[in-house]
Amino acid sequence: MGGCCPPMDLMRSEPMQLVQLIIPIESAHLTVSYLGDLGLLQFKDLNADKSPFQRTYAAQIKKCAEMARKLRFFKEQMNKAGITPSIKSISRADTNVDDLEIKLGELEAELVEINANGEKLQRAYSELMESKIVLQKVGDFFHVAQSRATARQREIESESTGEDSIDTPLLRDQEMAADPSKQIKLGFLCGLVPREKSMAFERILFRATRGNVFLKQTEVEEPVVDPASREKVEKNVFLVFYSGERAKNKILKICDAFAANRYSFNEDLGKQSQVISEVQRSLTELKTTIDAGLVHRGNLLQTIGEQFEQWNQLVRKEKAIYHTLNMLSLDVTKKCLVSEGWCPVFATKQIQDALQRAAFDSNAQVGAIIQVLQTKEMPPTYFQTNKFTSAFQEIVDAYGVAKYQEANPGVYTIVTFPFLFAVMFGDWGHGICLLLATLVFLVREKKLSGQKLGDITEMIFGGRYVILMMALFSIYTGLIYNEFFSVPFELFGPSAYACRDLDCKDATTVGLIKVRDAYPFGVDPVWHGTRTELPFLNSLKMKMSILLGVAQMNLGIILSYFNAKFFKNGVNIWFQFIPQMIFLNSLFGYLSLLIIVKWATGSQADLYHVMIYMFLSPTEDLGENRLFPGQDKLQLVLLLLALVSVPWMLLPKPFLLKKQHEERHQGHSYTQLETTEESFQVEQSHDSHGHEEFQFSEVFVHQLIHTIEFVLGAVSNTASYLRLWALSLAHSELSSVFYEKVLMLAWGFNNLIILIVGIIVFIAATVGVLLVMETLSAFLHALRLHWVEFQNKFYEGDGYKFFPFSFVVIGDEDE
Amino acid sequence: MGFLVTTLIFVVVGVVASLCARICCDVGPSTNLLRLTLIVTAISCCWMMWAIVYLAQMKPLIVPILSEGE
Repeated sequence: MGGCCPPMDLMRSEPMQLVQLIIPIESAHLTVSYLGDLGLLQFKDLNADKSPFQRTYAAQIKKCAEMARKLRFFKEQMNKAGITPSIKSISRADTNVDDLEIKLGELEAELVEINANGEKLQRAYSELMESKIVLQKVGDFFHVAQSRATARQREIESESTGEDSIDTPLLRDQEMAADPSKQIKLGFLCGLVPREKSMAFERILFRATRGNVFLKQTEVEEPVVDPASREKVEKNVFLVFYSGERAKNKILKICDAFAANRYSFNEDLGKQSQVISEVQRSLTELKTTIDAGLVHRGNLLQTIGEQFEQWNQLVRKEKAIYHTLNMLSLDVTKKCLVSEGWCPVFATKQIQDALQRAAFDSNAQVGAIIQVLQTKEMPPTYFQTNKFTSAFQEIVDAYGVAKYQEANPGVYTIVTFPFLFAVMFGDWGHGICLLLATLVFLVREKKLSGQKLGDITEMIFGGRYVILMMALFSIYTGLIYNEFFSVPFELFGPSAYACRDLDCKDATTVGLIKVRDAYPFGVDPVWHGTRTELPFLNSLKMKMSILLGVAQMNLGIILSYFNAKFFKNGVNIWFQFIPQMIFLNSLFGYLSLLIIVKWATGSQADLYHVMIYMFLSPTEDLGENRLFPGQDKLQLVLLLLALVSVPWMLLPKPFLLKKQHEERHQGHSYTQLETTEESFQVEQSHDSHGHEEFQFSEVFVHQLIHTIEFVLGAVSNTASYLRLWALSLAHSELSSVFYEKVLMLAWGFNNLIILIVGIIVFIAATVGVLLVMETLSAFLHALRLHWVEFQNKFYEGDGYKFFPFSFVVIGDEDE
Repeated sequence: MGFLVTTLIFVVVGVVASLCARICCDVGPSTNLLRLTLIVTAISCCWMMWAIVYLAQMKPLIVPILSEGE
């Protein structure tokens, strides 16, 4: 942070530079591809004012979108057939994109054709099945009816002298040899109708033909696959006899309306068995054809599945490359593309290497040129984080991304955030539970990072190192608060307190006395369950919160000093940092000092009284509230310093800024001529600020707001840190209640079943309320303390993040 | 064990931790500085918490009064 030591990792953004790349057209595609593999360049969109259709490579993007659609279609088909694409696809040599396009087209056509044929065959098969059923049922019916009719005929004949032979068919259309005029011309139709519509079917038939039909229905036992809908439907076989053309037409229309499939039937007995065997043969043939078709389709999908992932990656990469190419502007000569982008300074060599490789691999005549541009624009912020620090950096970025090169609170957040969480969570039993939970994630880290997890699991997995730190610190603070599921232990030696007399009769009235030195590590175990536990612990925790809060706020102000020094802003050092330090420490630093002195001397001074009367009547004698000699004078001095520091913060800075502005723009009465250079489009964006306006009133009001915010904030932020006390108290009380009123109560009954029930309830309550809800609650409050009370002392957070063009990122986006 | 003695123990632990970090995995000056900062911050926070709790119990103003039925 100073001249002594090297710059600290993560403290400030990596130095970034704006580079201009001039790429010859023939190597453009390969260059962008290699840069995407490198992932260290953020391209600026030079064609922002053009619509997507006006851009150079719109046609190629459409091609890629088509290929992506075909791949999605394949994926769908594979899912339906239950084939999963292999994760590690056989990587053949780099497939050419054009070849891939043709291949995908062919495969799609083939697959569509196979599907269509399969559909047709299935339909034919279902129809044949239905036909077979109809043949069987209607055949039975005719058979039964005929045997009855022949029996009747025989009866009639035995009574009379019949001329008709037994073989006379019952029903025949107009081909009767006997008197035609006396013949009733009956026709019949047969088929299948869905069972649920059968009653309505019957009714409408009856009404439409005025009852001049004879309908016979029988149920089909098993559901039949409907050819049109391809689902299994329960159907009835129907057989309807009608007379006359008109009736026939009506019946045909009604059948169509009810989606009742009709099949032809030949009443000739001899032919029936022939027809049935023919149908059976056709069925078996169709089945083999269909099966063969399915096998063929399966094989095709299998071959697709082997290469699917690779093709998918390739198409996505192509799309990304063309999107990026669209951001580059075409030079007037149309021989090269100009691009601008941000990259970290340390990556210059790597980018140059990538450009050279691309030029070499694409056999270009000219190499690409890279040059650094000077600009007043604010660069993006880039922190090189690893898997441990990235979670903490994300927490900070969620509030606001650091301005380019300002101090990054993320560095200290790595330690202070879990620490403040632990102050509110302090219980080493719960800490161990959290540690075990997060160790599960850490041990299976490699496996889980490749999988797709649910939303909540994803969040917990992403924050596993944060939770690890939180757990470790919780174990430490739990040992200090001496709470193991709210039970204290004498781990570090004997308690400092003992009874006054040997028979301990005063223990419940006047209390114990201190016989030894203070308990060496943490809160004395004797306090738990006593009547004075809460007054003691509350006083301790409130004072602790104030001390920790003042320390963190001082750290914040010191970071603002380092920011001012880095940006060489002397005004900020003398007229912001120093008065802020003086104000905060003369009031709350003094309070912290008083707390420590009171503890060290065991004085009975009332600190509320001291602080309030320091303001109300500073010259009054302190009397028994005096903690150390010279306190009156010190308080007067501190009060004066605090009063002086407020105008010190407010007044000088606006005037000094005005003077600086005037000095800077002294000789600039004339504006410069716009110089025309090669990259004409680029110039517009650079000189966005041009001639700044200095509004004195605006600057003064800004400084006024800043001052008021700091002065009032000093009080409110310090009080805000009392939430450390509040949440810690809540946690310990909840934990105590669950332990005593659930577990101990269940234990007291001396009954095994009640004990087991009690243990289950205790575990459920501990996990649900303490481990989940309290964790989230303490997490949130620790986060707030960082975002508001710590960061408003120094953080501006109005930068933007560095998003390099990288294929790794694209792979995750699409899923 | 005394305030000063335990404070010294914290300091020693901090120094040992930073030396271990430097010896076992030396990763370049800027990252080393980051690690050192983190270790110092962590030890400071832990020490502060211990010191506050210890100081508060050195000369207490109230004593534990046991509740009935202990």
